[in-house]
Amino acid sequence: MACVAACAAENNVPIGVFRTWVERHVRADGNIVFVPKQCNHCENPPCVKPCPTGATFKREDGLVLINDEICIGCGACIQACPYGARFVNPVKGVADKCTFCEHRLAKGLLPACVEACPTAARIFGDISDLDSEIKKLVESSNVQILKSWAHTDPEIYYKNLPKEADI
Amino acid sequence: MMALGAPLFPNELVEPILWHPVIFAYALVISGADLIILASLAYISRRMTKAIPLLLVLGVSFFSAALLGPLADLRQPSRAPLIFSLAHLVPTETHPGFSFIALYANLWLILIILSVIFLLFYQSYHLHLKSQAGGRLRILYRILSLGVGNEERYKKLKPFLTLLAAITIIPAVLWGIYPSVLVVFQTWLFLWRNWAILPLIFFADTFVASTAAAILVYYIIKLAHLDYDVLSPLLKVHSAGCVSVAGLLGVQLLLWNQWFDGSPLNTAFDVVVPIIYYVIALLLLSFILALASLKVTKLSVFVSIVALLGVILNKWNTLVNGQLISRTGLGVLSLELPPDWLLTTLSPIAAAIFIFIVLSSIFPLEVKEVG
Repeated sequence: MACVAACAAENNVPIGVFRTWVERHVRADGNIVFVPKQCNHCENPPCVKPCPTGATFKREDGLVLINDEICIGCGACIQACPYGARFVNPVKGVADKCTFCEHRLAKGLLPACVEACPTAARIFGDISDLDSEIKKLVESSNVQILKSWAHTDPEIYYKNLPKEADI
Repeated sequence: MMALGAPLFPNELVEPILWHPVIFAYALVISGADLIILASLAYISRRMTKAIPLLLVLGVSFFSAALLGPLADLRQPSRAPLIFSLAHLVPTETHPGFSFIALYANLWLILIILSVIFLLFYQSYHLHLKSQAGGRLRILYRILSLGVGNEERYKKLKPFLTLLAAITIIPAVLWGIYPSVLVVFQTWLFLWRNWAILPLIFFADTFVASTAAAILVYYIIKLAHLDYDVLSPLLKVHSAGCVSVAGLLGVQLLLWNQWFDGSPLNTAFDVVVPIIYYVIALLLLSFILALASLKVTKLSVFVSIVALLGVILNKWNTLVNGQLISRTGLGVLSLELPPDWLLTTLSPIAAAIFIFIVLSSIFPLEVKEVG
C-alpha cells in the first residue's frame, strides 16, 4: 500500500477517498493477487463528454485532468467513469481523481505512486515514445486493459491481470 | 458505511447516492414539459381546448422550477451560471463529445421563453377582459394583455400561436425524456447502462405524472362541479400513459431476465425489480380507475392519487435505488441519505406549487372560447 499512502501524501487526498487503491483478488487456483487501480486516462474518456462546463478535459499529452476553478461539482463525470476512479473531494467540493502527479511530471519526476512502489510493480512512461521502457513492455508482453468492452481505450496496461479483477 | 455484497469500488462507499433524492423530485417537476406539450397539441388540433389554460399555467409553473433540483444537487451551486457561459456543447480535441446537462440547461431557457410567450399571447384577450372587469390588478392585466383589446385582433393571433405551439413542442419533447437520456447515455452505473428503453419509459411516465397532477389540481379547484369535457381528454391521455409505462416496464423485466438469467450480475437487480412489480400494479389500477372515472367523474381524484404513488415509487426506484448498484455490477450499496434530504427534495415541488398559485391568480384557468 506504499503507492496509496504516497499518493495521498503527495496530493493531499482526504481520508476515505482514493486516487489510487489496491484490490485483493483470489484466483480460481487459490492464489492471491493484488491489483492496483486508478484513473485509466482513457484515450476515449467517458468522463469528459458529460462535463457541462468543460472542467474535465483531455490534455494533448493524453492526461485527463480537471480544472478545479470551473468544476461545478455536478458529479456527472463521477457517474460516467466505469472504473470508480473519480470522487467528490470532500474538502474542495469538486471532482477529483489521479492526475499522474502532473506537477511532478512537469519537473521531470515520476508519479508518487510509481516512485514509492517497493517492487517496481508500477512502470510509468510515455507510450508514444518508441524507445521508452513502457512502449517496449506493452509491445513485447501480453498486456490487458480493464473493461475492454466499455470501449474507453484505457492507457493503463496490466500484465497477468486475473479475470476476477476485470470489474 | 455498510455495503451488502462485494466487490465494490472504494470511492463508491464514500457517497453511495451521489445524485441525492432531489433528482427524483425534479424528475417529477419536469412533467411541466409534458403539460406544455399537451397544451400545444390541444391548441394545434383544437381538441380538449377547455383544458388548455389549466395545462399551460400548470405546465409553465412546474417547468420553471425544473432547474432548482439540479441546482440543489451541485456541490458548487454558486458556479451554476458557468453551465450557460461555458456550456460544453461543441466537441473539440480537448473536450470531445458534448454534455447533456449543458444542452438541457440551455434548452430549458429556450422552452421557458417560448412557453411564457405562448401563455401571454394565449391569455392576452382574456386578460384584457379581466382588466375591464376592474379590480386592484387591472393595470397589471392591461399590461399583460399586450394590447390585444378585441376579438378580431385576438383571432389574428391564431396562426402565430399555432406556429409557436408547434415550435414549443420540440424542446418540450426533448425535456420530457430528461434525465433518462443523461443516465442512460452519459453514466456508467450498472442499472442505467442496462436500461436502454428508459427514455421511452420516462417520456410516457411524465405524461402519467402531468395528467395526474392536472386532474388533481382540477379536482381541488372544481370539487363538485367537474366538467366532463375538461376531464375526459385528460383521463384518456392518462390511461394511455399508464398502460404504456406498465407495458414498457414489463418488457424491461423480460429483457433483464433474458440477458442476466444465471449470471452473478443478476442478483444486483434484486434492489429494483420487486418495486417495479408494485409500480406496474399501481399504474394498472390507475388505468382501471381512469376508465371508471369516464362514467363517474368524482372517482378521478383516486386516479390521480394512485398514479402519483406509482410515479413517485417508479422515479425513486429508478433514480435513487438505481445508484445503489455498484459499477462492478456485483455489489449493492446500502442507502444513506443526507440529513436534509427531505426538505431539499420537497423544495422544487414546493416552488412549483408556489409559482402555480401566483400565476393562477393572474391567468384565468377557464376561459370563454374565442373564434
